[in-house]
Amino acid sequence: MFKLDLFKLITTSVALVLSSTLLYGGSDTNALPGKYISKMGAVDGGVIYPRKDGTYTAYRYNEQSTKGVNFGRVPTANELKAWDVDIMPDGTGLPDGEGSVSEGDELYEKQCSSCHGEFGAGGKGYPTLTGGNQEKLPNGVIKTLTNQRIEPGMEAPKRTIGTYWPKATTLIWYIRDAMPYAHPKSLTNNDIYAITAYLLKQDNILIDGQEMDDDSVLNREKLMKIKMPNENGFYPNIDGPNGVENVRKFFSDRAKNIGAGTRCMKDCKDLSSKGNEPTVMKIDNEITDVVPPYSMARDLPPEVENKLESKAEKMYNDSCKLCHGSDKMGAPVVGDVEAWNKVTQKGFDNVVHNAIDGVGGMPPKGGYENFTNSEVQMIVEFMIDSSKKKH
Amino acid sequence: MDKTFKTEELNSLSRREFFKKTASVSAVAAAAIMSPSSLFADDENIIHHTQWGTTLGNELNEHPYGLPSKYEHNVVRRTSSLMSSAGDMHAAVSMTPLHELKGIITPNGLHFTRTHNGIAQIDPNKYRLMIHGLVDKPIVLTLEQLKRYPSESRIHFLECPSNGAGEWKGPQFNSLQFLKGMMSASEWTGVRLKTILDELGLKPTAKWMLAEGSDGSEMGRSVPVEKVLDDAMIVWGQNGEALRPEQGYPVRLMLPGWEANLCVKWLKRLEFSDKPWYAKEETSKYTALTASGRAIQHFYALEVNSIITSPCPERPWTDLTGGELVEIEGLAWSGHGTITNVDISLDGGKNWVEANLKGLVLPKSWTRFSYMHKFTGKPLLLQSRAVDDSKNVQPTVNQEKEVMGVEGVYHRNSICTWEVTKKGEVNNVQVRSI
Ligand code: HEC
Ligand code: HEC
Repeated sequence: MFKLDLFKLITTSVALVLSSTLLYGGSDTNALPGKYISKMGAVDGGVIYPRKDGTYTAYRYNEQSTKGVNFGRVPTANELKAWDVDIMPDGTGLPDGEGSVSEGDELYEKQCSSCHGEFGAGGKGYPTLTGGNQEKLPNGVIKTLTNQRIEPGMEAPKRTIGTYWPKATTLIWYIRDAMPYAHPKSLTNNDIYAITAYLLKQDNILIDGQEMDDDSVLNREKLMKIKMPNENGFYPNIDGPNGVENVRKFFSDRAKNIGAGTRCMKDCKDLSSKGNEPTVMKIDNEITDVVPPYSMARDLPPEVENKLESKAEKMYNDSCKLCHGSDKMGAPVVGDVEAWNKVTQKGFDNVVHNAIDGVGGMPPKGGYENFTNSEVQMIVEFMIDSSKKKH
Repeated sequence: MDKTFKTEELNSLSRREFFKKTASVSAVAAAAIMSPSSLFADDENIIHHTQWGTTLGNELNEHPYGLPSKYEHNVVRRTSSLMSSAGDMHAAVSMTPLHELKGIITPNGLHFTRTHNGIAQIDPNKYRLMIHGLVDKPIVLTLEQLKRYPSESRIHFLECPSNGAGEWKGPQFNSLQFLKGMMSASEWTGVRLKTILDELGLKPTAKWMLAEGSDGSEMGRSVPVEKVLDDAMIVWGQNGEALRPEQGYPVRLMLPGWEANLCVKWLKRLEFSDKPWYAKEETSKYTALTASGRAIQHFYALEVNSIITSPCPERPWTDLTGGELVEIEGLAWSGHGTITNVDISLDGGKNWVEANLKGLVLPKSWTRFSYMHKFTGKPLLLQSRAVDDSKNVQPTVNQEKEVMGVEGVYHRNSICTWEVTKKGEVNNVQVRSI
């Protein structure tokens, strides 16, 4: 069969192009799968495809006008007030209220430290909030953010509120909407300002050039006077009337700004800027901690216990295992095939009867009088089943 | 070596040894095809009736919503506590088993999932969407009202920009699922955002849109209006059925080709403004720190990328005995446009040949490629390299690392390498300079 690659078709055989055109019934490049009319210059650096004559790349669409399609209704003023609560760097949306560092300390300790660690310093597997060295290089860049772990043992760049976050408004917005993790939106506005004040104090953030102390209070006005240390740490510049154009310009030169390849086909060289030849790097410490474990097997899944059995197992574990888990109490040990052979020789009904009424050191129903007779029977079945010889 | 085998000796040899000791493999293979052979033992599965052929099958109403064969129970998403906060599976990611997929669609139950505050369970009757800000006419919609808008369906991949994030400093997982499984692809159905906005009247001053989710974190992101008016959609359909809760049921934003995080799930609100917002997921996270100590923000599109899916560590060539003609197959994709070419290297990137694309070739979608290879048992360093119609070529590890450094976390799209050993085992390695 012919290849559906336009460039090749043109250079190798005009006849093939014709036959493919016939097959696909189109009149231009759109006729060939994977070759769509496009133009460069999208904001992300990619291409834009036109919608024209009912065709959009490989898709057809309904060309009829949708003017007048109009469902839904205008929101009420209260609805807008309830939902339009995002917070912008210019202070739009910042709530009323205030809170002090020392109030925040107490709240943080109760509501946040179990996950984010003492003082926000992490160490519990959840995100580290504070800390890191904010010292700057002459060009204004935070020095530790230039850390690159190209060799083992090197220090990681630490991305915390103090070293990384560009805006303090983001912190208020996020804590108000998303934290504490299990009960988001449970904090009052005063709580939010207090906790934020506490976290900012841990990272020595200045308000209007002033250091914070335990009595410092944070509110809308004070927050607007904060400049975060890494405010200028991000590019391209998205602010102002040229924001979108800056982004477009940045992504139009991807080779320079984010890295791009070259289409070498023969005897290709791939040296680093230092002139080093590439070598084959193998996995050093393979991560194998995956759930469920890797398997390609097409077998039957391990027997899933039916609900009755797993309920029985749970009741056994909670109520009977204490004595039947080991031979310390003189009870037949579950899993001991011989011991249970002896028990079941009495006949199943008798055994159940003994379990219900008690026998020797075995209290009636194991001491759980609220168990029904059929529950006890279910547990006994489980104990006997678990003490059979495995084949 | 004794070249005259007796029949008994032959039968006792394994098939593999037999081929090794036989001078002309193809002659024997041809003979085996042309006339019934006495070289192989009879296969029980052919000689005898099967269990399922001699009994009545199950009733067809057993599962009103169908399930895969129980033999497929290992085809599942997998997680690793290392890719989570403290093993907390509310803030974690599950990986699609790419090694088990064919074609360009991911079954809904296998779609990778990344959540920031758990999987919201939304009552569709209580669901509302609000669109407001710099529009002439703000609106609120119920789900039924939203679905009244004319729909389009398009096939697009979704990829978390952290896909492969663990590999910047070197290979970590010996698995395709964990190397590249933070992506999936579906046919998405919904309304073009432009169709709605044409009615609402977007003000000329509107340059940015906030997309906000209704999960516990109200996850929000800023999107340039230009993208919104180009190919953005509000979607409620995923491969012919409702979105899965993991994918944002009942409604998510779809920005074709862009970070899955930008395609906000459980969508609640769209607001238009002349300024961007600086949400947590576009400042503290989803910004790529480079070696300069400054970070790239508003990093939208997933770059041109590809991966060989067969062979791979999970699906090696250890069953091959040498000499077989076998397909090298893989996936290529680009958020910048459409895949135009994929090249294959067998020698770790020194020399390349062009692979063939196969199946549908769609913009901002997975595209399959294929290359036939005769496996001789010679060790290989298998690579694929994709090219798209925005003239992007997938970079080598060196080419990407020179610009991005190794601490950026996001948007890693450099060429991957499978080492194929002489036994046909496949390992994840990297070809790079120190
Ligand atoms: C049960 C654990 C838990 C508790 C308690 C908790 N958090 Fe969090 N927090 C998390 C998780 C998990 C994340 C990351 C969520 C994600 O993946 O987006 C997070 C993220 C954050 C972040 C963003 C961190 C970053 O680097 O982007 C801040 C700020 C934060 N939490 C503040 C708080 C505050 C303030 C409190 C107390 C009011 C709190 N958290 C309580 C688990 C918790
Ligand atoms: C306080 C310790 C204790 C607890 C709790 C206990 N058992 Fe026993 N159980 C014994 C002892 C001791 C025996 C041995 C009695 C004997 O034969 O003298 C026994 C024996 C039995 C037997 C065998 C009876 C027979 O006919 O030989 C059964 C069945 C049994 N227990 C069931 C249960 C069940 C079910 C529970 C939980 C609901 C339970 N046991 C909880 C101590 C306990």
